[in-house]
Amino acid sequence: MSDGKTYAIQPQFHKKFKPMQVKEIIQKCLDEKLTDKKYHVDKASKFTRELADTIKQELKDLNWDRYKYVVQVVIGEQRGEGVKMGSRCFWDEETDNQAFATFSNDSLFATAVAYGVYLY
Amino acid sequence: MDFNDETVFEKEVVLNILKEVTEETLHDQTYNQGKVGQWISDICERSNKKLVALGKPFKYIVSCVIMQKNGAGMHTCSSCFWDNANDGSASYKSPQDWPLNVVTTCFALAI
Repeated sequence: MSDGKTYAIQPQFHKKFKPMQVKEIIQKCLDEKLTDKKYHVDKASKFTRELADTIKQELKDLNWDRYKYVVQVVIGEQRGEGVKMGSRCFWDEETDNQAFATFSNDSLFATAVAYGVYLY
Repeated sequence: MDFNDETVFEKEVVLNILKEVTEETLHDQTYNQGKVGQWISDICERSNKKLVALGKPFKYIVSCVIMQKNGAGMHTCSSCFWDNANDGSASYKSPQDWPLNVVTTCFALAI
């Protein structure tokens, strides 16, 4: 990420964080990685880490300038219990955005959120 | 970019804020499907307000997961692409003896 002073306060339109596109990427990563997998304490830990890194790498590959990314992944055992996840962000509505996707099968559920924050 | 001492991410201060807000909202509560949405909104919004009141040049993302205690396991992980010198995160996990599992995380990104 070049740190030169470009004085750009907004990204160009074609290089803006696009939630729908990122949502598809996240969904694809979740589906590829977790289909037919069962919840197991050690493996789940590994999956969360690998998923977070994979999604982050895919976002970097999109080559959007001056964006910082935060990816959060939650994987839990599927036992029919209640879970709720939410977030609030204090940022610039015009340049920053987020996308999320969920996946579940009989033995586990997974949620991944990706936030893109523009660096002025 | 010119940075001075004010733009350093202070993990202990942020952790304290998350801890206070989570404990105020959820002490002695058991899982209630109807109220859980409201709890999450409250925790996130109040944490945000207190973080912004610190007056530092940061953008904040506060996220909260609340889970019923039924013996199931849960893992959370985050991966960030940012400037390590100025950005940071803090995460507060509820104590074992609570009837709920709560994880509140805050990401602060420098402007």
